[in-house]
Amino acid sequence: MNGKSSSSISRREFARRAAIVSALSIVPPSTISANSSNPEPALEQSSDIPSLSPESQAEAVARYQAILAVYGSRFSDTQKSDLRRLCFAAQPSLDRLRAYTIENGDGPALYLKPLVEREKKTGAAVIPRAPSPAMKKP
Amino acid sequence: MPAEEIFYLPLSELAKRIETKKLSPVELTQIYLDRSAKIGSRLNAYARLTPEIALDQAKAAEKEIQHGHYRGPLHGIPYAAKDLLAVKGVPTTWGAKPYSDQVFQYDATVIEHLNRVGAILIGKAAMIELAGGMGYRFASASLQHAAKNPWDTKCWTCGSSSGSGAIVAAGLAAFAIGTETWGSIICPSAFCGVSGLRPTYGRVSRYGAMALAPSMDKIGPLARSAEDCARVFAAIAGHDPKDRSTVPIDKGAFTYSPSLDLKARPLRVGWLANAWKKMDPGVTKAILASEKVVRRYFASVKSAALPEGPFEDAGNIIIAAECAASFQALIRSGRVSELTDPLGQIAGYVNEQYSAADYLRALSVREILQKKMEALFDSFEVLVAAAQPIPASPLETNLETDLAFPDPLGAIGNLCGLPALSVPCGFSENNLPVGLQFVGRAGDDFGVIQAARTFQLHTDWHRKHPKLT
Repeated sequence: MNGKSSSSISRREFARRAAIVSALSIVPPSTISANSSNPEPALEQSSDIPSLSPESQAEAVARYQAILAVYGSRFSDTQKSDLRRLCFAAQPSLDRLRAYTIENGDGPALYLKPLVEREKKTGAAVIPRAPSPAMKKP
Repeated sequence: MPAEEIFYLPLSELAKRIETKKLSPVELTQIYLDRSAKIGSRLNAYARLTPEIALDQAKAAEKEIQHGHYRGPLHGIPYAAKDLLAVKGVPTTWGAKPYSDQVFQYDATVIEHLNRVGAILIGKAAMIELAGGMGYRFASASLQHAAKNPWDTKCWTCGSSSGSGAIVAAGLAAFAIGTETWGSIICPSAFCGVSGLRPTYGRVSRYGAMALAPSMDKIGPLARSAEDCARVFAAIAGHDPKDRSTVPIDKGAFTYSPSLDLKARPLRVGWLANAWKKMDPGVTKAILASEKVVRRYFASVKSAALPEGPFEDAGNIIIAAECAASFQALIRSGRVSELTDPLGQIAGYVNEQYSAADYLRALSVREILQKKMEALFDSFEVLVAAAQPIPASPLETNLETDLAFPDPLGAIGNLCGLPALSVPCGFSENNLPVGLQFVGRAGDDFGVIQAARTFQLHTDWHRKHPKLT
């Protein structure tokens, strides 16, 4: 039910920022998945990679490594490269969300409850009234 | 009447002819089936036709009507249902290879409702695999490959209700059922030049429908006009104890009377200035012309602006996290690799990585946004903007890189579960349809229907059809 690519926003931002990130350099080699049967795809300088703070870079890399740790043997080098890009692509959305001011008392909509109370007002409006002049046919 | 015109008759006219026995449900079903077999396959519009079910239902409808038992405006009317709605004994593939042999032994509540009013299921509409929940890069992300737009078969219908859009636009059924989590009814309606209603979240039961993001999934009709959408919506809306997200019984039902809705109340329209950052010139031209119509025939039209914030981000994170939960078994088994699309094969692994804290934060942002939108709807009954900033894209477009644009209205509308209705409002420079969307307050589906009907009373874009042979 999703009419658009979920990564569309961040992709555009990435292109705009065109930053170069060597993210794996901040991750200890020991965190690289032992389950990965394929060698790590070379990290290329890419305009697809967004400009991130060191903390956000680390988080994106950790996300990528967490996937490889569990599923690493499933992916081709091309898929690994794509996964890594997607892991970085996910980060700006998280950063923006976390930067948005939320008070401690702002509760999550644990399930979506549309605010339909207003319907009482609109429901009453189905009683026909004289049409306004603006609604008449020409 | 030439056969071509029968295919595009609105529900009201088909219903009148069926009720007065001037049109046989069996004959109507057969000509739609024949047309669907011939044209539907060229458009990749159907997952499958259901001729046995259709003709059985049509014969039953005809018999009842001949005996004086007319059930109402959908009795004897052929329709298609997106292939994520369970139909007893019929494969329901969710558009995806891992589920290509899936058969449920029950009907989705929406199908039950349509059975009850005597509508006739002629087929399951093609769709993007898993409704696009895993992400997709190409229009071909479907068991049926890319759905081709009846206005230009080199272009896409949009997704994920890709077949539903093609079916209605090509006159292969009187209406089709689609679903939307984010854009999947509004976009195909706009690209295909049909009318499509995204109901308020919780008005239509999802029991028996594939879950993608349970807090955002909605089911609604695509049809020839806003009035037709309203008639279908009236049949499928309502509380369902099998879907706990449906709104309470006293608020779930929807009754519709075409004679009353245009007179119901003067509508204050908010013309959205910040729905799209950039629009195709042909779309802009059509929207400007539509604005004149709206300003002339609506009680009040003022500029409005959507609240700003990380609402698209929140929507993306909620969908990603919920989708990862919905398809956890598929991801963990590795069978996600059987999906067609290269992005769909891997994005689920990323979706699994979102933390509970971030998901809950996104839900908190949703709560804040709902209040902001409630405040905005104190000044307006409906908000209006282009349904999409571009016309239909070429089939081979890389959607991830070349169809990437911010969509705050889509994010806000779907995060808050707001009703929306897209109607045709003109054509681009390449003669592709352009859509105008009306968005209302949660629960006020009547308002968006009234607004769209008013627009269609003074325009005839919804009566235009592609030339198909």
